[in-house]
Amino acid sequence: MALLAPHVWLALGWHDIKQRYRRSVIGPFWFTLSTLLMVGALGFVYSTLLGQSLREYLPYLGVGLVVWQYIGSVINEGCSAFISGSFLIKQVRIPLTIHAIRVVWRNFVILLHSLPVVIILMMFFGKFPNWELLMIFPGLVILFLQGVWVVVVSATICSRFRDVVPIATNFVTIAFFVTPVLWPASQLGNLAWVAEWNPLYHTIEIIRAPVLGGDLHWQSWVWSLGLLVAGFSFAQYLMTRVRERVAYWI
Amino acid sequence: MDTFIRAQDVSVEFPIYENSHRSLKNRMIDLTTGGRIAKDMSRHPVVTALDRIHLNISHGEKVALVGHNGSGKTTLLRVLSGVYAPTRGKMEMHGRTASLLDVSMGLDPDATGFENIYLRGIMDGLKPAVIRGKIDAIADFTDLGDYLNLPVRTYSSGMMLRLAFAISTSVEADILIMDEWLSVGDAEFSAKAKQRLDEMVGQASILVLASHDLSLVARVCTRMVRLEHGKIMEDCPIQKGDSMNQRGHQ
Repeated sequence: MALLAPHVWLALGWHDIKQRYRRSVIGPFWFTLSTLLMVGALGFVYSTLLGQSLREYLPYLGVGLVVWQYIGSVINEGCSAFISGSFLIKQVRIPLTIHAIRVVWRNFVILLHSLPVVIILMMFFGKFPNWELLMIFPGLVILFLQGVWVVVVSATICSRFRDVVPIATNFVTIAFFVTPVLWPASQLGNLAWVAEWNPLYHTIEIIRAPVLGGDLHWQSWVWSLGLLVAGFSFAQYLMTRVRERVAYWI
Repeated sequence: MDTFIRAQDVSVEFPIYENSHRSLKNRMIDLTTGGRIAKDMSRHPVVTALDRIHLNISHGEKVALVGHNGSGKTTLLRVLSGVYAPTRGKMEMHGRTASLLDVSMGLDPDATGFENIYLRGIMDGLKPAVIRGKIDAIADFTDLGDYLNLPVRTYSSGMMLRLAFAISTSVEADILIMDEWLSVGDAEFSAKAKQRLDEMVGQASILVLASHDLSLVARVCTRMVRLEHGKIMEDCPIQKGDSMNQRGHQ
């Protein structure tokens, strides 16, 4: 796996980020800023709609959105990871997974910019994280690794079947509304299974619960780890089968 | 160990996917309808770019690939550089390979000259420390001076070529794969470039060069392989001093 050659994707992904923000003063914090604006606006409206106190709701929404942005853009950008890297893939032989991890890494860096800002915002509202916050570190590692297999799989499928790209975009939009990001899972009532059987919910939860200091259910870890193992096996299977074909497809 | 290239029965076939073949939807309909449509669907046209190539190149050989446009030269070079895996047959190579297929490959227009040098090194699999050691030599060679701190998009096309040339010829390799001889820049630089290339070719133990320029082939190469419609039509040594139309067949 190309994970073992970190200097390549570290450099490439970092370069992408530098490129994107070359002409702006606050750099990657643009993303953070837009997230904060979104959290502010949505928080204001939805806390009333859902009957939640702003102090409880804003941090919940903030962490959820930041993690969601990572998940969503990893899926969306992942779809075109090989297609947009095609000029490189056709010129030099470097492992395909490098192109994939590059995408994950640059989105992960954005996440790492935004998450602390949200935590600071949370403290501003008088909610301080406790020692459980430490649990976000294994959580982040898992989040990064999930990204890797997701991009490998989606990039491979999308370079063969081009209509999967808009399908994936739609999927991300729909998933956003049915996953407890905007609203707390506890409000589901009888529909609790919508969250319990949603791997995306558990993926968010392994970051959100430790930040907010709520109880992290062991189910979330089981789901996340299970998903990770299943996903990596599938990615591995895909790679061994079609690794050599991708260059012909793009 | 000795450097060699051994291609046995190597074929490359490009599937041509029409829009309908790129579609997952159609593939699904395909599964459900079966029968006649299914047959039509799976029969996408295939272009045979290389047809059962047998080619052994051993240490010390400088091979010229000649042939019309579309005869398979570039495809063969891409197979040799590992971009395309043969769809049939076996490919064995031993030695560090460098390919100069498209020299302006991977030049990022928004990155500075220095950044481009660095990125390219990364993609060639060099460790950051090694690249830092080489950057000055490459920068000197380009004669671009302070321009290297500016984004590449501000360069003239000649300057861009100089940079690309300096970067791609800075690698050391046992097997050198080239698509056309590179000629760049004004008289002064092109003399320098020629010397650089000659050195590079001299150091490499195998050269594979695709070219239309027969006098160049006669000057540089020791063996000529003529491709036509993806097949090897002719494979003969080039005697030094021979004019091209007098050479004997093997």
